[in-house]
Amino acid sequence: MSVDKGEVVVIIGPSGSGKSTLLRCINRLEEPTSGRIILDGVEITGNKVDINKIRQRIGMVFQQFNLFSHLTAIQNVTLAPIKIKKMDKNEAMETGMRLLEKVGLADKADYYPAQLSGGQQQRVAIARALAMNPEVMLFDEVTSALDPELVKEVLDVMKQLAKDGMTMIVVTHETGFAKEVGDRVIFMDDGIIVEEGKPEKIFSNPEHERTRRFLSMIL
Amino acid sequence: MVTLKLTVLSILFGLVIGSIAGLGKVSKNKLFFGISTTYVEIIRGTPLLVQILIVYFGLPAIGINLQPEPAGIIALSVCSGAYIAEIVRVGIESVPKGLMEAARSLGMSYLQSMRYVILPQAFRNVLPALCNEFIALLKDSSLLSVISIVELTRVGRQIVNTTFNAWTPFLGVALFYLMMTIPLSRLVSYSQRKLGTYEVT
Repeated sequence: MSVDKGEVVVIIGPSGSGKSTLLRCINRLEEPTSGRIILDGVEITGNKVDINKIRQRIGMVFQQFNLFSHLTAIQNVTLAPIKIKKMDKNEAMETGMRLLEKVGLADKADYYPAQLSGGQQQRVAIARALAMNPEVMLFDEVTSALDPELVKEVLDVMKQLAKDGMTMIVVTHETGFAKEVGDRVIFMDDGIIVEEGKPEKIFSNPEHERTRRFLSMIL
Repeated sequence: MVTLKLTVLSILFGLVIGSIAGLGKVSKNKLFFGISTTYVEIIRGTPLLVQILIVYFGLPAIGINLQPEPAGIIALSVCSGAYIAEIVRVGIESVPKGLMEAARSLGMSYLQSMRYVILPQAFRNVLPALCNEFIALLKDSSLLSVISIVELTRVGRQIVNTTFNAWTPFLGVALFYLMMTIPLSRLVSYSQRKLGTYEVT
């Protein structure tokens, strides 16, 4: 598969179908056993690449938020820029605050994760990933662990991101989001890409039987 | 005062040794893991008194002569290091795995992730256990009296030897230990309350 710059690709499929694994292979949290991954013309699989450098260019947001619980929201966002990019503290704070504003949490900058709701934590996690100024963002079922009423605030942030032209690969069960924001939908089952295409086509007129069966279960 | 000095120095060295060995115990590197595990097993499986005697009386046999105090500090540090290693291991394992992934996904190396993300949280989680270790070590430092270090317990014995009164001096010695250990445990429960603000929900 390939993803163009600025494209929003949504991956759907039954659990255990390899969606998350595919996503985690892209920044090599999981080592691909075969195949190659090419980012901006440069192969990032193999032993020669500095994976830490590559990961700075690929933001990731997790189902379980994974915020650093000993740090405040703003510290979560600025930690990596300060420690790894050696960004000036004030500059990092400024950027960090701007990002928190973007996700609507500027007033919560000094709160610890435990003092925030799930939706707020996830938005901080998005800001944290954005702080490294990535070229691609990976979203791994980021709304699955949220209470239903908190899902929207996270999706809204993601929609805004998509509108701003971010390249995004999104694993989700939110078909509404897929239809509205997705440029392309990929259906996976059993570790392979069964079908891909425009959201309207996949959701209303899928070619494969397996896709149809899956969609009939969730729609 | 000697007791306090020996204990503080030993716990500091013990923390360094223990952190390294603790990292070894969660390491995927077989050699590092093996060395750490062997170290912890040997130290935990032998009495501290014997370790002290080996360092002070045994090492000279292979040509290493140490003054009582350095010998005492080495023995205590090496011993507490083994226990702290276990504490550090538990602490690291108490931090959800996802945090390591999140840190790595931001581009941090394994060591950077450990240093900035995992260890600070691990340390907070095991603060009570570390304090217990500190208190235990403080009391164990009394064993150093056998290698003629004039610490609290030995002072007590000297007074007993000159006054032929065992009751009051030893009671006094016990009281002095309590005066050091009680504030310590107070301090920890206080700091835990303060740190509690960002406890997991």
